[in-house]
Parts: sequence; structure tokens; C-alpha cells
Amino acid sequence: MLTLLEQIDKGTLWRSHGGVHPPELKNLSNQTKIGQLPLANQYILPLPQVGDSALLAVKTGERVLKGQTLTSGTSFAYSPVHAPTSGVVTAIKPMPSNHASGIHILSCIIDADGLDEAVVFETAKVGALSNEEILTKIQHAGIAGLGGAAFPTHIKLRPASDIELVIINGIECEPYITSDDRLMREHSDEILAGIEIIQRLLSPKRIIIAIEDNKPEAIEAMQHALNRSHLATGSTRITAVPTKYPSGGEKQLIQILTGQEVPSGAIPAQLGMLVQNVGTAYAINDAVVNGRALTHRVVTVTGLNSQTPGNYWMPIGTPIQHILDALGFAGNLSSDKIIIGGPMMGHSLPNTQAPVLKGTNCILLPSQQEIADDDAEKPCIRCGECAVACPALLLPQQLFWHSKAEEYDKAASFNLHDCIECGCCSFVCPSDIPLVEYYRIAKSAIRTQNEEKKQADFAKQRFEARLQRLEEEKLAREAKAKEAAERRKGTMSGGDRDAVAEAMARIKAKKAAEQQNSAADTATAAPELDKKAQIAAAIARAKAKKEGAPTDDSSATAVPADDKKAQVAAAIARAKAKKAGANTAAETPEPQATDKKAQIAAAVARAKAKKASAKHTGTVDIDSTVPSTDKQNEVAAIDDIANDAIPSDIVTANTANTANTEISDKQAKIAAAIARAKAKKAAAKSATIDNQQPSMASDETLNPVDTNLNAKSLSDSAQESQQDTVQKKARIAATIAKAKAKKAQAKLQEKE
Amino acid sequence: MAFKLASSPHLKVQLQTQTVMRRVILCALPGIAVQSYFFGFGVLIQVLLAIIVALAAEAAVLVLRKRAVLPTIKDNSAVLTAVLIGVAIPPIAPWWLVVIGTLFAIVLVKQLYGGLGQNIFNPAMAAYVMLLISFPVQMTSWSVPLVIAQNPMDIGLSLQAIFGSMSMEQLNSYKLGFDGIAMATPLDTVKTDLALGLTMTESLNKPVFADGFGVGWFWVNMAYLAGGLVMLKLKVIRWHISVAILASLFVCSSFGYLLSPDTHVGPLMQLFSGATMIAAFFIATDPVTAATSVRGRLIFGALIGVLVYVIRTYGGYPDAFAFAVLLANLCAPFIDYYVKPRAYGHRTGN
Repeated sequence: MLTLLEQIDKGTLWRSHGGVHPPELKNLSNQTKIGQLPLANQYILPLPQVGDSALLAVKTGERVLKGQTLTSGTSFAYSPVHAPTSGVVTAIKPMPSNHASGIHILSCIIDADGLDEAVVFETAKVGALSNEEILTKIQHAGIAGLGGAAFPTHIKLRPASDIELVIINGIECEPYITSDDRLMREHSDEILAGIEIIQRLLSPKRIIIAIEDNKPEAIEAMQHALNRSHLATGSTRITAVPTKYPSGGEKQLIQILTGQEVPSGAIPAQLGMLVQNVGTAYAINDAVVNGRALTHRVVTVTGLNSQTPGNYWMPIGTPIQHILDALGFAGNLSSDKIIIGGPMMGHSLPNTQAPVLKGTNCILLPSQQEIADDDAEKPCIRCGECAVACPALLLPQQLFWHSKAEEYDKAASFNLHDCIECGCCSFVCPSDIPLVEYYRIAKSAIRTQNEEKKQADFAKQRFEARLQRLEEEKLAREAKAKEAAERRKGTMSGGDRDAVAEAMARIKAKKAAEQQNSAADTATAAPELDKKAQIAAAIARAKAKKEGAPTDDSSATAVPADDKKAQVAAAIARAKAKKAGANTAAETPEPQATDKKAQIAAAVARAKAKKASAKHTGTVDIDSTVPSTDKQNEVAAIDDIANDAIPSDIVTANTANTANTEISDKQAKIAAAIARAKAKKAAAKSATIDNQQPSMASDETLNPVDTNLNAKSLSDSAQESQQDTVQKKARIAATIAKAKAKKAQAKLQEKE
Repeated sequence: MAFKLASSPHLKVQLQTQTVMRRVILCALPGIAVQSYFFGFGVLIQVLLAIIVALAAEAAVLVLRKRAVLPTIKDNSAVLTAVLIGVAIPPIAPWWLVVIGTLFAIVLVKQLYGGLGQNIFNPAMAAYVMLLISFPVQMTSWSVPLVIAQNPMDIGLSLQAIFGSMSMEQLNSYKLGFDGIAMATPLDTVKTDLALGLTMTESLNKPVFADGFGVGWFWVNMAYLAGGLVMLKLKVIRWHISVAILASLFVCSSFGYLLSPDTHVGPLMQLFSGATMIAAFFIATDPVTAATSVRGRLIFGALIGVLVYVIRTYGGYPDAFAFAVLLANLCAPFIDYYVKPRAYGHRTGN
């Protein structure tokens, strides 16, 4: 059993299935040397990658030189586009593309200036370059597969796995086309130099240059060039392949040369093989050694409607119309086809403005006798000739039935995606059924379906994720609520927790009291504050009283804790003093009762005092409590009159309360001081409104307030600010005071 | 700009459906000629009658179906069906037999299923089976080969026989051999004789087997075989179905003959008598109703061969191709479904 390499060395060939033998008609164009085309006035260079993985590198109006890149990009798949000649970029806009649909794609239009001035080409010696440098050169030259598919070459030459066999494709199996044939005859040395570079990059075990046996001149030229080249004769060979369409197809060629099949959906690299076109090898050499970008390629112009059939070096981007004008077109544009590519796989061109692309190897201008009539499709008689001709071993007939019936899933189950669209089935069909067209439609429909399915799946996933999230949130909420309920239950039952809760409640009450105090103070110290504040303060006071009264009755320990209560108590004390003193005192108007609210408050206080005294007289048991309250009330009264916070300390000392009461008293003092300072500030504001002062001063004013310094310094700074008031600060302070009053009110309401 | 647009490929083989059909018909001509030589002008009259009825019926149905008449008529498929019905019917069968058969084939079996390419059953064979079951007497009344007949028929007599101006006694006189004994077809004779307890050797001594295979039938089969080989050469048909039929029939009958030569028809006689060759090359190869893949066609052909052998040997009818082909037609979609060729890049096991 021979190994594959041994069989290759022996020149063994395998059979590929199917295939057809259409008339070759190559003599029409392969008799003359590759010619030059006169410069066109305008070149159109499609920029398919711009907006995707590349950026424009030129602007409208800019002059570009031959070989200058029109795009820039950094991605792996980026393949630059170059100006084919010197000229001015006149527009960058969508233009008809060289595609069966004629769809417009973004293109750069260059008006040639006729000078054909080029950029400086960086020549290099291959030996001096590293592999990476060579690959970079290939990428920057924009080299793509010139066999027709135009796949970026630098990607192909960077395979993930080892390549054992490189196949250089010089088959050119399509009828009419002779561009590779002429290139091999005239530039065999350059092609071999390109192959040497490929050999250097991939170091394969064998290189096969495959040429169809209908090109004996090319085979001979290549053989001579191979003998002259540095490639080892043992590892590189030229193999003549029997003429049959489509032997030049990558998969078919691999089958013919190695007997292996590229697995469905895979690439030849998976078998350790790589196929490159001879034209690509030529371009690789040109780019690496001469530093020239891929701006020109050989294009066959042929068909009986061509007046000068042959091969021509054409700048990429040459409009087809220019080629027709320059080389002569004998046909009629309205009735004759223009085919880009060969007659088997090429597409008819809808617009002659479309340009020559990197993958354009032939412009076929057939007369009507040369190509098939557009016969009406007749019913399929299931003759099965298509299956005999199919090189992919498919059942074209079944694919046709299912594609026609739009049963795309069934068509896919007959391996529609393995169809290479070579056209053999349509070629042999006796019923003139355009089978390949059905497959193309089915393929794109399947693509669309898959796309839609993917999107639907995605939407479904999102929807399900949302449902799940909502459910999770709901569960979390429920768990939380349950936990909270349990905590509540635990609080109610546990004694320690009870104490804590009580303490919390006390602290809250104190806080409220502080705020209320300050609000009350603000109200008294700054009577010019707007009514709302006054009313709020008054209400707060009234409420404080109301609250204070029942606490008085209930527990002695809780009462002194609140400064507010002290105040209330003061009022009560005052009332009592009045009552206890003389009746005249009661008749005398209260010093603070300038506003109605205060009066009402006083009245309420009095009433409460009466109630308290009634209790005092009524019950003996609470005697011990009441005197202490009285005492406290007296002290509180002093506090009220002096409008100072310090005596409240005495109050607490007197009433001998817990430590946190003291703390709260201190806080209350501070709060009161702040409130007072604010009130002063507010007063200052009203005094001098227009006075403008640097903001530093106002900052100084503010900071002490924020840091809760003692009242003295506060008032000092307030006085200072009186001189240099900033109206803003005052307003803010007033607002804060107001807000605090409101907050206090709100808290009180909450408590109630 | 109004360009002429078309999808690739832009080249086509100039072999059209109508050409294929015409070539099949032309290749059948030698067989028809030999058949006429042995069985008289009746054969040609039946064929002509069938063609006229087929074209008329096809045109009428196309008008009713609101389809273009001319392109379809021109595809020659109806003519081919008519030819096959014409040669399958006894040459002296009454005219209405062929008319009913052809109408049935074209209208019911072909057009009602959607026309060319859509029918499940081979129209000619479906018609033949329908006639055989409905009119067994007329369908089995084969005239004796002219060379051994007591009263050879000329064209006038044939016309009289077909168009009904002939009495039953007169008709029966054309079924007599030169020895004055009524003769059936060779296969029919064998079947009857074997049923009567005679051995093969005894049966083969009858005058109808004067040349060893049944007078006339051997040459008719040879002519159709020649036509079939031409078709293979022209690539009008592929070899798979025909070879599979002949091979399986040969193998089966060889086994039977080796096991019991006295009660079994020999393999060569199986191949060269009755409808074997015309069926193997012209009827079973109808692509519309056959399997399409290469392996499928081999299975399809082998199935026909086995069925023919089984029905000829154990069935109630002397010949069996119509039944075998129809049964295989039924199986064709299943064969196609289960016998898919391995596509490129789909190695077995991955």
C-alpha cells in the first residue's frame, strides 16, 4: 500500500464524480500575448470593508498615486484597496457593483490624470524578510484569491494547522477563459518565484502545480520555469489533469490529485492542504519582491461579440464600459449578454458602469449563437442526468423539487449547502430547468430563515430571562417580607428586644424634640421669618405640649428626658406660677404672647397645668412624682426666660436621669445654638441685602454651622456675616430653618 | 438599459426532452418492424390508432387544464406512451380496446396526476393492466405468427379484424397454426401446459417453439434489444435499470431451472420471450416513474426482474412485466428516499 505522498510522486490521479465537457473555445483568446489597455478616464473602486472593518484613508478632492491605499484598517481580515493609477478622488458614493444584482455599493471614484504616477515601491529580497514581514507585505498589497473567490490571501497563508500539500491551481476549467493560461506561458518564472515564497511560508512536503491537459504550452513553460527555479524537483511537480469541467473547483481538484474529499463544511486546511491560484502566486511575488500592490490583473476578453479577443492587463476598477469601448464590442447591449466570468459560473452584468474586480478573470461577450437560448422551463422528467453530472454527488432533482415547493428544510436535508453551483446540472438538463437558480434562491431563503430563527431564539431567550428575573424578584420580596414579619414577631416576644426598641423609640423622640426646639427657637429669635415658619413652629410647640402632657402623667423617667418637655413644663410652670402667685399675674399678658398661636399655646398649657394640679390634689400616691415635676418645671422656666441651653443640664442633673438623656440634651443645646445662629444670619440677611462680599467669608460662616461649634462662635460668625452678608447664604439658612421646622412637624405628625 | 439577464450556466447541452423522447421512439422502430413482420399489419394499425388517440386526448386535457397545448404535444411523450400501448396490445384486438387503453393512460394516469413528470405509474403499463383485467379475452387473443399461421393476415384483413367487421369464428381462424391447432403465445402455452402436468420438454415440442424460443418472439426481443443498445450508446437511457432487470431475471430463472428443469422456464427463454426486452429497455426505463439514483435504479430494476420471475412462474398471468413495473413504480419514491448517494465530503461514519 503506497502512501499518499508516494502516490502523488507517481503521478496517480483519481476520478472526481460527474462533470461535463462543454465546448472549450479557448483558442479564441489564447493566441495573442497579454496586451495593455489604454487608461480609462475614471476608475471605480468598491470599498466593501469600509464601515465594517476598514476606514477611508482618502478624502474627496484628494490626489492619489498609483498604488496608494484608499482604506486603512487593523483587523485580521482587513484587505486594503489601492488606487490603480494617479488621479483625483472625485467622489466616494454607492455605485453599481460587478454583481448579478447590480446592487450599489460604496465605491471610490478616481478621475485619472493620465500621468499614471506611482508611489515608491519598496523592493525587497525574500531571504532578508521574516515570514511575518512577508505576510504583512502580502496583506498590505491587498492580495486576494485571483481564481474568482477573492478570499484574502494573507489569511489563507496563515493556517491554523500544518500544511503538507500545496496545490497551485492552473486548471482553468471554464470554457473561454485563458487568463491563467497566458499568464503561465508568459510569466512562469514570476509564478514560480511566488510559489517559492509560499513554500517558504508553509514549508509543505509537496507542491503540485496542476494544469489541465488542454494547455500543453502552459505546461511546458511551467516545467521549464520549474527546472530553473530553486524549488526542489523532488517535492514540486507539475501534473497534467484530464480536461473536464469543473476540475478546477478546489474540492474537485483535491479529489483528483489526492483521492480525498474535503469534509462537508470544512476547508482543505483540515486535510493539511491548501490551494492557490497561479495568478495569486504571481501577485504574491510582485508584492513581496517588487513591493507592488495588487492593482492590476490579467482579464480575458472573449466571445464572438468581442472585436479583439485576448488577454489584457487591467487595472482593478476599470469600468466594463471602458473595456467595451477600447476593445470593440460587436454586439447589441439590449439583446446580447455580457458575462463576467465563464459561461458556466459567470453572471450576466446588469450595468456596464460596474468595475473590474480582483476576482474578475473573464469578460465574455457571446453572440447569441454561442450561448443557450432562454428556453422556457419544461417539466422535469426525472431523467437523473443532473445527478450523473453533479460533481458533489448530490441529487439535483430532489433538490429542485424541494426548492421549487419551498420545502427548504427538506432541500437542506439533501445537502443543498454542499452544492458548489458549478452549473453542471443545468447544463445537462433536457427540460431547460435553471436548477442552479432554484438552489441559489433556496440557499438564500434558508440563510434568511436561519437568521430569523436566530433572532427569534434570541428574543425568546431574553423573554424567558425576563420572566425568570421577575419570578426571582417576586420570591425575594416574599422571602424578605416573611423575614421581616418573623423579626417583628421575635421583637414582640423577646424582653431584651423590647428594651432596645424602647430605647430606639426614645432616641427618636429626642431627635424630634431637638428639631422642634430649634424650630421653636427660630420662631422666637427671628420673628421676622415668614409666617409659614412661624405657624410651623407654633404648631410644633403646641404639639410638643400636647405630647408632653400625657408623658408627665405616665412616667417620671421619660419626662425629663425631653428638652421639649422641659419647655412644655416651663409653660406649665409659668401657668402654675401665675395661678399660685396672684390672679393679677394671670391677667397680665404673657411677654411672648404677641402672636395668637403663642396665646393659644399658653392657654393650653394653663389648662394642662390645671389638670395636673387636679391630679395632684386628687391622688396621694403620685405625690412623689408631682413635686419633682414642679421642680423641674421651675428650672425649665428659668431656662426659657434666659433662653440659654446650659440650665437644661441642671434640669437633667436634678432629675437624675440616664446617660443617653444627657447626650440628647447636649445635642439639643447644639441644635438650639445652630438654630439661633441661623436666625441671626437670617436677620442679617434682611438687614443688608445689597451688600456683596467675597464668598470666602460666607464659607467661613457656613463651616462652623456644619461642624456644630458652640453657640458663641456661631453668633460671632453670624455677627461677622452681618457686616459682609451674602444674601444667598442667608436665604439658604432660612430655607434650612424652614425645612427643619417642617420636618419637625412632619415627624410629630408621624408620631401621632 | 435593458440587458438580457440570465442565471448561470449560460451553456446547455442541446439535448431536449423532446429529442430524448423522439430517440426512444426511433430506437423502438426496429422492434416494431420485426413485430409487424411476424404478426402482420395489425401491429402498425394499433400503434397508429394509439398515437392519434393519445395526441387528441392530450390536447383536449391541456385545453381543459388551460395549459399551452403545442409545447406539451411537441415533447413526444404522449406519442411514446401510445407506441408502447400499441405494441403491447394483440394486433387483432378490436379498435375500442386500444382507444380505451390510450385514453386511460393519457387522461387518467398521466394528465390527472399533473402531466409529464408528475405521474406515479407508467401510463402504458397502467393502461395495459387495466385492459388485461377488464377485457381478458381480447387482451390474450394474440394472432399466430404469420410464418406458421394457417391463414396469414394481410392489411385488409387486419383492418377488418380491428374495426369489427369480422365474425368471431373468422377471427379464431387466425389463431390457428398451420397444423390447424389454436396457438397461444409461447409463455401462455408453457403456462397452460405446465398447469396441465406436462413437462417443459414436452411443451417445447409444440410448433410455437419451432425455433427454440417461440417463433417470432425471439427476433422481436432481439430487435428491441438492439434498439435498447442504441439508446444506451446515445445516452438516452442509462444501463442500470435494464441490466438489473435482465440480471435478476436471469439469476432467478437460472436457480429455478437448475432446481427443477421440468417445471421451470429456462433463463434464456425468460429473457427472449414475451415482453422482456421491450420492457427492460423501453418501459421500465421511463425516468418519470423509476428511481433516480444509480443505486436506486439498480434496486428498482432488480425488483422488477424478481417480480417478473415470480409472477411468470407462480402467478395467474403468462407475462408479468406490466404488473412488475407498476409494483416497482410504487416502490420508486421509497427507494429514492432511502437510497441517497453519499454526497461529496460526507464520508460514511462521520
